[in-house]
Amino acid sequence: MSHIHIEISDLTFEYEPDTPVLDHISLSAGEHESVGIIGANGAGKSTLLKLLVGLHLNYKGSIRVEEIPLKKETLSRVRERIGYVFQDSESQLFMTTVREDVAFAPENYGLPEEEVDRRVERALEQVHIGHLRDKSIYRLSGGEKKLVSIATILSMTPDIILMDEPTIALDPKNRRNLIRVVNEFGHLKMIASHDLDFILDTCGRTILLDHGRIIKDGPTEELLTDQELLEAHGLELPLSMSR
Amino acid sequence: MSKIDHAIHEFQTIEQMAKRDGRVNRIHPLVKLCLTVLYIAAVVSFPKYNLAGAAVMAVYPIVLFNISGVSFADAVKRLRIVLPLVLIVGILNPFFDRRIVLEIGALKVSGGVLSMLTLMIKAVLTVFSSYLLIATTPIEEICCAMNCIRIPQVFVIEVLLIYRYITVLLSEARRVTDAYLLRAPGQKGIAFRAWGPLAGQMLMRSMDRAEQIYESMRVRGFNGQFRLRRKGRNSPFDIIYFLVWVLVFITLRFLPVLEMVGRAAA
Repeated sequence: MSHIHIEISDLTFEYEPDTPVLDHISLSAGEHESVGIIGANGAGKSTLLKLLVGLHLNYKGSIRVEEIPLKKETLSRVRERIGYVFQDSESQLFMTTVREDVAFAPENYGLPEEEVDRRVERALEQVHIGHLRDKSIYRLSGGEKKLVSIATILSMTPDIILMDEPTIALDPKNRRNLIRVVNEFGHLKMIASHDLDFILDTCGRTILLDHGRIIKDGPTEELLTDQELLEAHGLELPLSMSR
Repeated sequence: MSKIDHAIHEFQTIEQMAKRDGRVNRIHPLVKLCLTVLYIAAVVSFPKYNLAGAAVMAVYPIVLFNISGVSFADAVKRLRIVLPLVLIVGILNPFFDRRIVLEIGALKVSGGVLSMLTLMIKAVLTVFSSYLLIATTPIEEICCAMNCIRIPQVFVIEVLLIYRYITVLLSEARRVTDAYLLRAPGQKGIAFRAWGPLAGQMLMRSMDRAEQIYESMRVRGFNGQFRLRRKGRNSPFDIIYFLVWVLVFITLRFLPVLEMVGRAAA
């Protein structure tokens, strides 16, 4: 079995008292896995990803990332290993140009200038947006912003990538491009999405969440072809399966 | 282009101008920051009736506009909102200080008018010198210079984040006004009764986005400290540039240069 990268046990989290968004969740994910997280709105998908990257630390239970327990003291070590692509790219990008934004993380980690440049170029090439290097963030289209936000994460060369609704605002061409990028990333990825076809194309394993609980965790094809199960939890068969 | 889009565009144009590879742009940001601070200190230190002294200080922005390639006309255009406010400074002086302090032929100038003009000149010069600083130095480099002179980190980060959030605030304002105007066809501007809710919405959404941006920074290794760097090497020319200007400021501040020039010409 591959090396365990993320281990969650008995995780409970609530924004307001007595209304758990995640309710006693336990799961683990290995080094080269690609895990889809699906569920209707409010199922807890985004919250789960935010917890994994330490955006909320007031949870119950335990989260370990590459053996490191996730807590305030270990936050920077954990974040060096995880890249998180936000649902809303508008909020992820804040520097003036694409290059500056992609360079933000490597610069923050104190890497030498040549290494920063090398990482920026590589990340831009990976998502095929080298031509946008000097473009102003404000002038990008929605799809371009999404690709840039993925490049900002790739420049960190993370061991784990978490993506929250990565296909929002992407046209078919950019969506295909993203599927290729995700499949080329050989390490652990966890993708929360409503786009079940995207999950089908990129994830070997899928976790179905409903009201903060894991309903099923298994091979993607098996889970996404179970119409009864999906409909019982507010989802539908992927378009490619329903034809 | 809407007014807000135009404002964002202007903001970005200044940023791009600051990042050019120009002669003044290449000077160390600490030199430019210190010179700007010294210049402002020298300008504001002129006595209120010393109009000629303050006016001579215009030499710094004039030279800088020439060697930096920053357009003076664009500067005036961009500062058209600030300049009238600046010019209001001292507008009441003529009503309070009516003592005649200067006679130029038949023209009698009161102390109030003279102090008002001096104040206006001082204000305009300080605004231009600040504009020249931001038009030739990226905000990150200005913050880097502030770090060098041991200005508290928390203050430097505040400056940087406020600067970054300006565009966030502007784009939120554009979205809110667009959403409003699309549902108020034929209406000019925003109805007075909608100002409160719109301002509230804008504030809430801006705070929300600012929070998300902060989260995005945190997950990319930001831990409260910016690692500010600048490209290029420090050059001895920077030190010479600094010393020459300091000498010029001291000369202009403490010697009656105009008087001396006038005497020499006579």
